[in-house]
Amino acid sequence: MVNENLVKDVVKEPYKYGFVTDIETEKIAKGLNEDIIRLISQKKEEPKYLLDFRLKAFKKWQKMKEPDWAGLGYKQIDYQDIIYYSAPKQKEKISSLDEVDPKLLETFDKLGIPLTEQKKLTNVAVDAVFDSVSIATTFREELAQHGVIFCSISEAVKNHSNLIEQYLGTVVPASDNYFAALNSAVFSDGSFVYIPKGVTCPMDLSSYFRINSGDSGQFERTLIIAEESSSVSYLEGCTAPMFDTNTLHAAVVELIALDDASIKYSTVQNWYAGDEEGVGGIFNFVTKRGKCLGKRSKISWSQVETGSAITWKYPSCLLLGEESVGEFYSVALTNNLQQADTGTKMIHIGPKTKSTIVSKGISAGNSNNSYRGLVKMGTKATGSRNYSQCDSMLIGDQASANTFPYIKSQQPNSEIEHEASTCRISEDQLFYLQSRGIEFEEAVSMMVSGFCRDVFNQLPMEFAAEADKLLALKLEGSVG
Amino acid sequence: MQSKMKELDPILEVENLSASTDNLPILKGVSLTVYPGEIHAIMGRNGCGKSTLSKIIAGHPSYNITDGDIKFLGENIKSQEPEERAQSGIFLGFQYPIEIPGVSNLEFLRVSTNARRKFLNKEELDTFDFEELVKEKLELVKMDHAFLSRSVNQGFSGGEKKRNEILQMALLEPKIAILDETDSGLDIDALRIVASGIKKISNSQTGVILITHYQRLLDEIKPNYVHVMSDGQIIKTGGSDLALELEKKGYEWTDNFIKEI
Amino acid sequence: MEIIEKIKTNKSIDNQTEIQKICLNKLQSSPLPNPKSEPWRLSNKSKFSDLLDYSLNEKDTKFDTPYPNTSQNIIRLVIGDNCQIKLIEENYSIKELSEDELVKYIKKQISCFDQNENWSELLNLSLSCKKNILGLKINGSKIPPIEIFSHASSNSLNAKTLVIFLEKNCDIDLLQVNLGKDNSSLSQSTFFCLEENCSVNHGVVSYGESKSNLLNSLNVIQEKNSEYNLGSLHFKFNYARFEISIKQSAGNAKTNIKGMQITKKDEQISTYTKIEFKGPNGFLDQINKSLADDKSHAIFEGSIIVPKIAQRTDASQLSRNLLLSNLAQIDTKPQLEIIADDVKCKHGATISQLNEEELFYMRTRGITLTEASKLQLSSYFQEIITFIPVSKDRWDLLDKLLNEN
Repeated sequence: MVNENLVKDVVKEPYKYGFVTDIETEKIAKGLNEDIIRLISQKKEEPKYLLDFRLKAFKKWQKMKEPDWAGLGYKQIDYQDIIYYSAPKQKEKISSLDEVDPKLLETFDKLGIPLTEQKKLTNVAVDAVFDSVSIATTFREELAQHGVIFCSISEAVKNHSNLIEQYLGTVVPASDNYFAALNSAVFSDGSFVYIPKGVTCPMDLSSYFRINSGDSGQFERTLIIAEESSSVSYLEGCTAPMFDTNTLHAAVVELIALDDASIKYSTVQNWYAGDEEGVGGIFNFVTKRGKCLGKRSKISWSQVETGSAITWKYPSCLLLGEESVGEFYSVALTNNLQQADTGTKMIHIGPKTKSTIVSKGISAGNSNNSYRGLVKMGTKATGSRNYSQCDSMLIGDQASANTFPYIKSQQPNSEIEHEASTCRISEDQLFYLQSRGIEFEEAVSMMVSGFCRDVFNQLPMEFAAEADKLLALKLEGSVG
Repeated sequence: MQSKMKELDPILEVENLSASTDNLPILKGVSLTVYPGEIHAIMGRNGCGKSTLSKIIAGHPSYNITDGDIKFLGENIKSQEPEERAQSGIFLGFQYPIEIPGVSNLEFLRVSTNARRKFLNKEELDTFDFEELVKEKLELVKMDHAFLSRSVNQGFSGGEKKRNEILQMALLEPKIAILDETDSGLDIDALRIVASGIKKISNSQTGVILITHYQRLLDEIKPNYVHVMSDGQIIKTGGSDLALELEKKGYEWTDNFIKEI
Repeated sequence: MEIIEKIKTNKSIDNQTEIQKICLNKLQSSPLPNPKSEPWRLSNKSKFSDLLDYSLNEKDTKFDTPYPNTSQNIIRLVIGDNCQIKLIEENYSIKELSEDELVKYIKKQISCFDQNENWSELLNLSLSCKKNILGLKINGSKIPPIEIFSHASSNSLNAKTLVIFLEKNCDIDLLQVNLGKDNSSLSQSTFFCLEENCSVNHGVVSYGESKSNLLNSLNVIQEKNSEYNLGSLHFKFNYARFEISIKQSAGNAKTNIKGMQITKKDEQISTYTKIEFKGPNGFLDQINKSLADDKSHAIFEGSIIVPKIAQRTDASQLSRNLLLSNLAQIDTKPQLEIIADDVKCKHGATISQLNEEELFYMRTRGITLTEASKLQLSSYFQEIITFIPVSKDRWDLLDKLLNEN
């Protein structure tokens, strides 16, 4: 039934975001040392506390070792061979979009994220990040009317310094892990969101990250604060050109939800994954964590991970507030020689906290796809519940799927339930679909998208459709 | 209406009962008195609190009584454990009888029957005598002997589970039986079997509370009183004709009563 | 004193066997397991050092076989006591392995040992003197059930090793009983080799007294068309580790495991299992149960490894845990590592208390909370206990567990 040749004959669609924007950029010298950090901080005109934060993180990072527990195989990263700051040259102090280099606008146009007033997406506010800097943020005035702050983190450092000083590094401390420490030392730009008390953000907020330079790393930092009884839905998209070298991406995302606040954070990650031989591609080492600080607060992560040569990412929730809720919905698809090690940590600290984990891994080609997770019930988490479901689908006999769920309970009056399964696309199901006249490729992508349905249902609508297409595209030619 | 019964002491008195779970109020002042020989029906939409009322009377630990009293044979039972209430003669027939894998039905029935017998100062039964007793009661609900060797309710069909509930009622000979949606999920034959079982077990000394939202069980067992519950309160009480009227007019009709309150 | 030093200063050092020398040599490069490595990360360090603290003892004190008394149709062996056996009957034979066979087999095993993962075996083999190793070669069918005892003496660290070869088409029921004494440590390693078409029901029951410690490792190799069923129970140890490694050397074999550990007071008992499928059509059904009460700690980590060659593997692993006290803790980590695509694998884990709705249901039928809990526990235990061979007819394990609960 599963005709290998037929499938292999199908022409693969190339990575369509792989172009390079030819633009003059300002880069600093390669390498990492205190002077570089001072230079970055100086370029961004940062206050002293932030420089101190960076230097302290750098000191810690120097003492730390790159983690190896995920068993990922990759060429040693030379941290001195990376450019830590790269920005497109443009006029200082841009007051309106008209002053943004048209080449940049064109780039985002091509990525499907038009920024100009005439063409911008109507229901989503976008912060566009190009290499190390934020280019533009749309709908700022409209959001400001509701008291919502949505801007680049560099801008927030200038205009909302008190919030940055109060919250930065409180969810992911600089010393949390190797890559978080690195990010804390050299982070360039990223998004900042503040939703005031009682406000439901009137539109989805979105950041679009674009890596353009081949030799610079991207270290963005995102901070979202939802005050009491507020709510926001935030989307994140990523692409990068095709280079035959590996580019390092080490981001940190921190979310804070106070009483009755809710944050929904969705990611569609489609960084360049390298070619079929595994040459090139992004190394994606990301620390994402949310703190449900308030009572009945809720943080929900949904992610569709299809890109990157290596993904190392565990969006997590610290459930402190009574009756707070954490959710993690994930689809991770790997093909060719991609490696993904992703999952979540749900740390139940407060009473009556609840968490749900739904993870779907699809491994094709020679790829390696692991779910790694931790569910912990602390001694005070009485009446708390967790439900986890981790399913893997294997396509072809060269791919591997691993599950490492780690469960720890210190509270008898709590319940943890974990289920996992591994399957492949069943020939009977395929045959059934084909016998109803459905093309082979389409049947496969129908089944894969059916397998991921529980997660796609959690994505904002426009994302869900995109994710579906993305999966079909990525899988073409991989079924044999 | 109650005059002829009033000479007897009531079996169950629920007085202005309010209760909550997870700080969410579910019952908001329910009063209900059941005298020997009476059959009461409680009707209402899903979520009106009728199942909760039955669980609270049986002593479910998840609910907090915030106000009011429950008296059984004149004694306040609010602080009694569920097993004490069961031993003294309160029986709850579950809407969804619990499956207990690994615990044999026969063993379960024997241990519970003996707990009740001990309370009644009756001799406890050994395995042999108990088998005899069960055989006799199985007839009542037309159940096969094979049910006894399976785990409690595990893999039972909906109808089998309900018949197993009535079997337990027959064995425990309660003073009051509260049957929570015993009719749901039953075909007409199973419904007749269950109804005739209930009629045979109840008598002039016992009370029955039927919780249902359909008329069809009440066609088989005619209640003396029908209570309509909504939003944690009894909003109307009448005779068996009230159930018929409700069947005809639907629950929208009762929404008007709430407005009156 | 370091364990290596202790072994070296032991009186009988001069009579060391070749195996002891090899293992001691290996152990020298890692005198203690790496406390940061996955299999040792959660191990209680002070309890583990308690285990190693007792003085080595190659001689056993007088051993009173616990109930039940031996009966005629059971073959009962005590390691270190009556190690010689030669039974040749019409249908079967049970013979001691020759020294050559034993050394050859153990050496082969050692060659694929990982210093960390097989630390317990290395320790065991460098401690076990010749008389504390029992090697058996079993052949035939209609073999009477076998009971094999290992025991520790008070205030000492004893090591016992069991090697069993089952020749083709063999079919046995074997119960291994490991007994701890007051203030004692037992190191027990078992090597099982099942040739084609063998079928084994293997029971492992380990229990101690106060302050008993146990390091128990089990190494099983299954050839084609063999069936290995393991029922195990560990309880009443200050510190106990049960490490199971099972390899289906060419797939096409069946493995069923039902294990349980019960911890109370401040005990720590852990089970580590690693099941590898080295060929296609393998089958595994595994359930591990833990019950932790008081201030105790129960740990289960299980991994299932399905490489590309193991197509059509069907494996399921379930970890069910009961946490009965506010101060107790349970860690569980079921894991799957899969490369083959045509496989059916699933795993699951739950941690909870006794089921409240079930308890309430029984209580509404007049059954007291204590009795209802007992009924529930007994059904929880029963599933495992009925799977332990030999014991089910002769040992009242359920009573023993319930009455101690």
